[in-house]
Amino acid sequence: MKEEIQDKMKNPIVSIVRLRDVVKTYRQGKVDVHAVNQVSFDIQSRDFAVLCGPSGSGKTSILNLIGGLDVPSSGSIWIDDVDLSTLSNTELSHVRKNRIGFVFQAYNLIPVMTAYENAEFVLNLQGVPEAECRERVMATLAAVGLAGLEHRRPDEMSGGQQQRVAIARAIVTSPAIVLADEPTANVDSHTAESLLDLMQQLNRDQGITFLFSTHDQHVIDRARRIIRLHDGKIESDEISH
Amino acid sequence: MKLNQLAWRNIWRRKRRTLITAFSIGFGVMLSVTFTGSGDYTYTQMIDMGASMGMGHVTVEPLDYQLKPTLDKRLSETDTLRQQIFALDGVVDATVRITGQAMFASARKSIGGAFIAVDPAFEKPDNNLLLRSLVEGEMFAEKDGRGIVIGSKLAEKLHVKIGKKVVYTTTDAHGEIVSNIARITGLFLTGIDMVDGNMALLPIASVQKTLGYAADEASVIAVIISDQRHAEAMRDSIAALPQAKNAAVLTWKKAQPDLAGVIAFDKAGNYISQFLVGLLIAVGILNTMLMSVLERNREFGVMMAVGMSPGTLFRLVMVESFWLAVVGLILGIIITAPWYYYLYYTGIDLSGTFGSDFSYGGVLVDPVFKARLFRESIIAILAGVFLLALLAGLYPAWRAGRVPPIESLKTI
Repeated sequence: MKEEIQDKMKNPIVSIVRLRDVVKTYRQGKVDVHAVNQVSFDIQSRDFAVLCGPSGSGKTSILNLIGGLDVPSSGSIWIDDVDLSTLSNTELSHVRKNRIGFVFQAYNLIPVMTAYENAEFVLNLQGVPEAECRERVMATLAAVGLAGLEHRRPDEMSGGQQQRVAIARAIVTSPAIVLADEPTANVDSHTAESLLDLMQQLNRDQGITFLFSTHDQHVIDRARRIIRLHDGKIESDEISH
Repeated sequence: MKLNQLAWRNIWRRKRRTLITAFSIGFGVMLSVTFTGSGDYTYTQMIDMGASMGMGHVTVEPLDYQLKPTLDKRLSETDTLRQQIFALDGVVDATVRITGQAMFASARKSIGGAFIAVDPAFEKPDNNLLLRSLVEGEMFAEKDGRGIVIGSKLAEKLHVKIGKKVVYTTTDAHGEIVSNIARITGLFLTGIDMVDGNMALLPIASVQKTLGYAADEASVIAVIISDQRHAEAMRDSIAALPQAKNAAVLTWKKAQPDLAGVIAFDKAGNYISQFLVGLLIAVGILNTMLMSVLERNREFGVMMAVGMSPGTLFRLVMVESFWLAVVGLILGIIITAPWYYYLYYTGIDLSGTFGSDFSYGGVLVDPVFKARLFRESIIAILAGVFLLALLAGLYPAWRAGRVPPIESLKTI
């Protein structure tokens, strides 16, 4: 208990992400569909949280809105006290580059790049010097268990290895939050478990904040916070023990 | 990985498509080199040919002589001016001449024509078409003798041969009709009917006496320069000479407006052909780049999701266009080099189609199709290819950066 208090004093918990009354409406034919409906919640630093719910409940839409990939129909989203609605496209890409890491369901690595280059990509966009890039990328690839596979291209790696590269790409910049959209959906259960071990370890050891969207019970079981969605609304928001 | 490196790898994702596009660029380079090189060669040849027909690349003549070329107008102190011109950098030759209209008469017939009075000591075949086209006899040896060299067809019309006498009648410096007699020493055949049937070379000192000119008076100083492209600069240098202040200094374009018009017209046609070739290349590049952008929509969405700005994405696609142009250019050089070498040294003999004495714009044109590229033409072709590639890449690049990442990520 005493250690926990000391840890919290060293790393005070702050809200990295704030959503307030967020609505996202899509037009399907002549009908308006509320993919996200009056959603409000905060994500604190070091959270390991999941957005779960059935298909169409709004999980991915919320991740896209937090990542600045999509714009809410109404309501506000703040990342580090910056209101995303006030930012231009270029400023949004700046926020994504420096504060957010993305892990996609389908890995989405750049096929002409090696594992090393994929992980290095965002650091290059940030203009990090080459020597520092190398040091950080090698350390990150080692952390995700890919030491020795730096020169492999995506088509030379398994699905699990590709997803590890995607995780390395997401965390190499030390982002405020990693948004992971169904990261285990395309891998077998054994690989899914090892990926979850990895992300949990990164959360615990490096204090990286994770927000998942998933309907995979294995992921939900590992989460410390579970936000259940139904028809675009928050059904429950609970801390797991 | 730097943007350049990424762009380079991206263009090789579809090797066959890239190579087909690069070959179309290369083929365009070959066509452009052929059109431009043949233009550079032919126009230079026509201009040099025109210059050697009497007026030079740059002509110094009395004021208003071009408007009304009468023999009462003349330059004075021509020897001094000639020496000053000759001393200028880039001048190959400067010759003092008298040009005028005359009636040529034999015992059997009279024909109207034109003469160029020259000093045989200063005339060189390289710079005088009539002299280098001698087919019978020889050039008269003395500038104050009674020799005359006439066109073969003029000789035919007059029914005269080498050694026969011809009387030429013209108007002198005071507007009086004057005549003199000359003996034919040589016949020329240039292949240009207008020249062969009307013109004659006469000794300048004899003509000066006939016209009532002083020994250093003449109607023209014809200046031959090493490179016809510098005619304007040479005109300005000559016009700045103190001795030339009372003279008109004209480039070949002014002195031979018909030739200038023909070349300008032909150049315009050449530019249109090249524009169309360029358009085809641009459409090819546009097609390739657009396909390449459309099939990578999702990847662009990922790139933007991880922080690439629309501007950087725009630059990435533009750099891909640039690399495509570089590959096309390299292929173009590889396929064009042997073709250009052949056109430069051998050429394609078209005399079977056009005949060996084909004239265009009043000057003889080499029936062998050859190519010589000027340095500025090479730069223009290189710049043109890059410009086309970049222009063709603009729309795909703009489109790549414009699609919202959320839309791109939805692409399968």
